[in-house]
Amino acid sequence: MKLKSSYIAVALAAVVVLAFPAFLGAYYLNVARSVMTYMALAISWDMLLRSGQISFGIAGLFGLGSYASALAVLRGGMDPFASIIFAAVFAGLMAFALGFVILRLRSMYFSITTLALMEIFRIVMHNLHDFSGGPEGVVLPVVIFNGDAPALYWLCLAGLIITIGVSWYFEKSKMHLALTAIRNDETSARSNGVDIFKYLLIAFVVTSTLQGMMGAIQVQSYGFTAPETAFDANFTLLPLAMALLGGIHSTIGPMAGAILLGIASEWLKLQIPYGHLIVYGVIIILVILFMPQGLLGMARKMIRAGRKAGATHE
Amino acid sequence: MSKLTTTDLTKRFSGLVAVNDVTFNMEEGEILGIIGPNGAGKTTFIHLVSGILMPSSGTITFKGKDITYAPAHVRSRMGIARTYQLIHPLENLKVIENVMVGAVFSKDKSLKEARKSAEAICAELELGRLERDTAQLSILEIKKMEIARALANEPEVLFLDEVMAGLNSDETKQIIATVQRIAKERKMAVGVVEHVMGVIRELTHRVIVLEAGELIAEGTYETVSKNPRVVEAYLGGAA
Repeated sequence: MKLKSSYIAVALAAVVVLAFPAFLGAYYLNVARSVMTYMALAISWDMLLRSGQISFGIAGLFGLGSYASALAVLRGGMDPFASIIFAAVFAGLMAFALGFVILRLRSMYFSITTLALMEIFRIVMHNLHDFSGGPEGVVLPVVIFNGDAPALYWLCLAGLIITIGVSWYFEKSKMHLALTAIRNDETSARSNGVDIFKYLLIAFVVTSTLQGMMGAIQVQSYGFTAPETAFDANFTLLPLAMALLGGIHSTIGPMAGAILLGIASEWLKLQIPYGHLIVYGVIIILVILFMPQGLLGMARKMIRAGRKAGATHE
Repeated sequence: MSKLTTTDLTKRFSGLVAVNDVTFNMEEGEILGIIGPNGAGKTTFIHLVSGILMPSSGTITFKGKDITYAPAHVRSRMGIARTYQLIHPLENLKVIENVMVGAVFSKDKSLKEARKSAEAICAELELGRLERDTAQLSILEIKKMEIARALANEPEVLFLDEVMAGLNSDETKQIIATVQRIAKERKMAVGVVEHVMGVIRELTHRVIVLEAGELIAEGTYETVSKNPRVVEAYLGGAA
């Protein structure tokens, strides 16, 4: 019964998502892409969070992917589509190298370091005038698929589906046991054969690869990037807020949060330009104060309460 | 055959020598009691052999292999498992998943195989309703879960650090019986740290006594309990 309803939900969502380009104009497809990009980032952030490591560096890997892709096309003459794969691998390799150092850190020390890394990436791109275009950034000669709105939508959707797939695998495989054990109790994990560093490194590299991929898709879709665009703090803060609102330590939570906050933010942007960030801040504070487990946690609580009520009636 | 050996094992915490020159060995299939007053270094000693702490000097060998500085997860994969004096449940995993962790990561089992063997171990320990959250367990059930998790590692050497603490005598008897049976079946060497002397007398083949980090006596419970040094150090005025 439960399995059936979840299959129906997935099928319905698939139909809606696949039908979008047929019904929506370029503006709404653009909004959908923005929501999907944030959703993928929210999910990838959550995947690392399942190990207890809180990254503030999403925008760093995202921006790194953007630049890797743009510069590969511009300076290396790479095919735009191939450059997305290149950028994803590049972000993953950077995470692998950096991970050896920073994954020895825990809690706020790890968080602050990822934040600092993001700043370093931004400053480097800001100052490498000849290579990265400096503060003005870079403009690509052509937008991928010549800017065809449905095609860009499909590309972004593909990136999102890959992210959801990997996240689902993390939930269903032994990664789930490894990351949860590490988050709950490292001593216990070690005593039961969990190679903590190995699993943290896998999670960090995989999530960074996904973030780099989404950055590359973004830059190829807009045909432009600059340090302040690629490393925009919003790419760290919004995914975080979305995951918190929807419910952390799951795939479905960040997805729900991204849909709600993503659509709300587009609407708010039109109503109160720039003021939407204040509303964001308020939402984050309210969520942390009143439903630390997010919407998902609240839904679970309600289901449990419902079951209990049902049981006592019998 | 000697399974686990330490030679002149020493651990210093700046000024304090918590474990001092301890040389001992554990044989296949034996149940060894590790006793001593509070602060004698029993738990530190287990931390050293299980790799949670690294020694200051001395060596540890497991089945003839030097493992003195091997990381904890490598040792649990080799076959050294343990429980903790303070409980360590993985609170965001279900009971069954808690137990599976040992099988998945120490024995490289698939999730399916691990679930099967975890269920079998829990059945043996009479731990039921395995889809529960750990928050729903009683203290006895948590202790059983932690023993089950250690057993899921399929260890050749197992250390139980005060598992009976906080349990009543019936519960203690049940756990003793299970540990004895499993140790015999698997020819496992078991090291038991325990304050309740009745448990040590009933369960162990041999006892070592630590005091202020030093090994002061070794032998059967009967001989050790008559050793004047032990009586003075451990049993104190009560004897």
